[in-house]
Amino acid sequence: MTTKLTFVVAAMGLVLAAVPVRAHHAFAAEFDQAKPIKVQGSVTRWELTNPHSWIYVDVKDADKTVTWMIEGASPNNLYRLGLTKESLPIGSVITVEGYQAKDGSTRAVGRDIVFANGKKFFLGLMEAEGAPKQ
Amino acid sequence: MGRRSLASFAALAVVVVALFAQVPAAGQTAGSAAKASPAAKAWTPPRTADGKPDLQGIWTDNTLTPFERPKSLGSKEFYTDQEIADLTKRIHDARPGERIEGAELGAANPQEIRYDLEIYGFDRNKLRFQSKRTSLIVGPEGVIPPMLPQARQRNADRVAKNKGHEFDGAENRPLSERCIMMGQEQIPMVPAANEGNLLQIVQGPGYVTLLHEIDHSTRVIPTDGRPHVPPNIRLWQGDSVGHWEGNTLVVDTTNFTNLTAFRGSSENLHLVERFTRAADDTLMYQFTVEDPTTWAKPWTAEVPWAKTKGPVYEYACHEGNTMIATILHGARVAEEDAAKKGK
Amino acid sequence: MRNWLGDSVIAGVVAAGLMLAATHSAAQAPAYRAPRTADGKPNLNGIWQALNTADWDLQGHAAAKGPAPLLGAVFAVPPGLGVVEGDEIPYLPAAATKKKQNQANWTTLDPEVKCYLPGVPRATYLPYPFQIVQSPQNILISYEYAGAVRVINMGAPTKAPGDSWMGWSNGRWEGETLVVDVTSQLENTWFDRAGNFHSDALHVVERITPRSADTLNYEATIEDPKVFSRPWKISMPLYRRVEKNAKLLEYKCVEFAEEVLYGSLRKKSSN
Repeated sequence: MTTKLTFVVAAMGLVLAAVPVRAHHAFAAEFDQAKPIKVQGSVTRWELTNPHSWIYVDVKDADKTVTWMIEGASPNNLYRLGLTKESLPIGSVITVEGYQAKDGSTRAVGRDIVFANGKKFFLGLMEAEGAPKQ
Repeated sequence: MGRRSLASFAALAVVVVALFAQVPAAGQTAGSAAKASPAAKAWTPPRTADGKPDLQGIWTDNTLTPFERPKSLGSKEFYTDQEIADLTKRIHDARPGERIEGAELGAANPQEIRYDLEIYGFDRNKLRFQSKRTSLIVGPEGVIPPMLPQARQRNADRVAKNKGHEFDGAENRPLSERCIMMGQEQIPMVPAANEGNLLQIVQGPGYVTLLHEIDHSTRVIPTDGRPHVPPNIRLWQGDSVGHWEGNTLVVDTTNFTNLTAFRGSSENLHLVERFTRAADDTLMYQFTVEDPTTWAKPWTAEVPWAKTKGPVYEYACHEGNTMIATILHGARVAEEDAAKKGK
Repeated sequence: MRNWLGDSVIAGVVAAGLMLAATHSAAQAPAYRAPRTADGKPNLNGIWQALNTADWDLQGHAAAKGPAPLLGAVFAVPPGLGVVEGDEIPYLPAAATKKKQNQANWTTLDPEVKCYLPGVPRATYLPYPFQIVQSPQNILISYEYAGAVRVINMGAPTKAPGDSWMGWSNGRWEGETLVVDVTSQLENTWFDRAGNFHSDALHVVERITPRSADTLNYEATIEDPKVFSRPWKISMPLYRRVEKNAKLLEYKCVEFAEEVLYGSLRKKSSN
């Protein structure tokens, strides 16, 4: 007698199916539309681990420095723009506009990231690299 | 977080990818895949060293073609060359955020909370239709058949059970958020409209391997005509067995779990995929989906894949998954705040 | 009287000795020549698995109590002879201390507990099978554990743009041996459950040689100047899974690790 093994959905109450969840990211579940941020600071490092890259920015307040972690696209996309882990311009000043994480931590999704000279962040890096513009 | 907003964000909020980078190889303009009509010259694909049709390479399925046909087009299955050119121009000229019926812009669609794609070099002018089809789903209807009442009920029951518990724990979150099964990882492979989700095919004697970039999803498919694994073994991606029919690799997949739920289907999902090298730079992918406990009849879609430049990079979703922790933590913070206000 | 029996024995012993000498020198060259793929290379295609306790501890170890008392003898530490040549892992002094700390806290620190990708060489000797699919341009290895995978580039070597869990593999043939150069691994992986670890400077060179129809010889030389005072080497046989219709199944272990990873974020007293 074969016993058909079915996962016990009832007890676990999984949300599925009704919504074809196509992508990894439900940005609105992680970041808060009611908490827009705009910060300026210097770049200290970046983490190029999937599913998202993270740019670390030191933002100086009146008396202290706060490290913001800005979420960017998958590093695979950055590699395809010709960027590598060496591309990050440590110390560069950037301005980040985005939305803060819902848990109040100093994380934000980076909607717009520009250098002090107004150049858009990743494109600016590509130009700095001499990478051919896509 | 309502279901509707989750749906809209899920549909739109994709990992920003190669809207810009994954342009198919030069020369792969709209319609060249569709030009391989029966009347066209037959093309003999190259062979692997052990004599099988060579499907190997790195492929992209980026296309503007929507999955389902717009209602206004009725049973019109193909555009003319002129219509494709006109529609493509309208898309290239459109204002950011302007929706164009008949084209799936995917991540280029407007979203409030997400990256500004221009900082990643997004260029609207790179977007293309990869075939002259009006929808990826073929046939006079061009849409998924209506869902059977029992399937609607089954799916509604599942959602109802989770209602009020959506943020209780990891197991209440969508599979994609948990990095167990990302939307783009699921089979059959459906373009998420301009995501750079490359496919690498590597063939060895008796096997064809599909490595789909997102979440390093790997399927090693035997082509020796063996039976499926026993029915009590259920797998997230089902169990695939393959065989060659002429120049076409036919892959038959069953044994899905009841949580896989591709487009709301059940564990009875039966998927047949066909891979044919239609040209040096084109891999024609056709799939038929059937589940008599979900849809009244089977349905079929056709997706041309274009050769592109690799390599495929590692995409490790779970290892870097800070998102689910932030979401659960955010829910706990919101509960604490609400409790404090209540006191 | 001449002892003809003794002379025969002596002659036999001498002959045997000469034969042994001949065999010994023949053993300097590969004793086994594997069947070839259609493009003329040693055929490594198949499903393979290590049969040792290297994932518990690369070095020799006796049996020991496991981390889960409720599981008793089902999940205690099995004994094993080591796979490290010389049985010594040459840690630099500070790194040796870190290894001990890792080992003492392995259940909370070991990335395998969290279902994280294992890196190279650990992927090879996890207690799960893997499959080699060999084409002239690429050799793909699909691992049952966590759906781990890597593609070994067999063309001109290429460079990684960044680090990854499974690293960046460039391969070439040296006679009967596949030599794989693995770089650009993240520092987050371990070598085993005993806390053996490395930095982001890790460089691994693998040598895979068929030794019989159904076994491979696997060696990995490990170099990491931030952690070890010199390179060191592991070696082990790998065994073919010969059962009919052998197949990798899914070990998508993320859901098994969620309690460990996110249990503390769960809503208290849910209905």
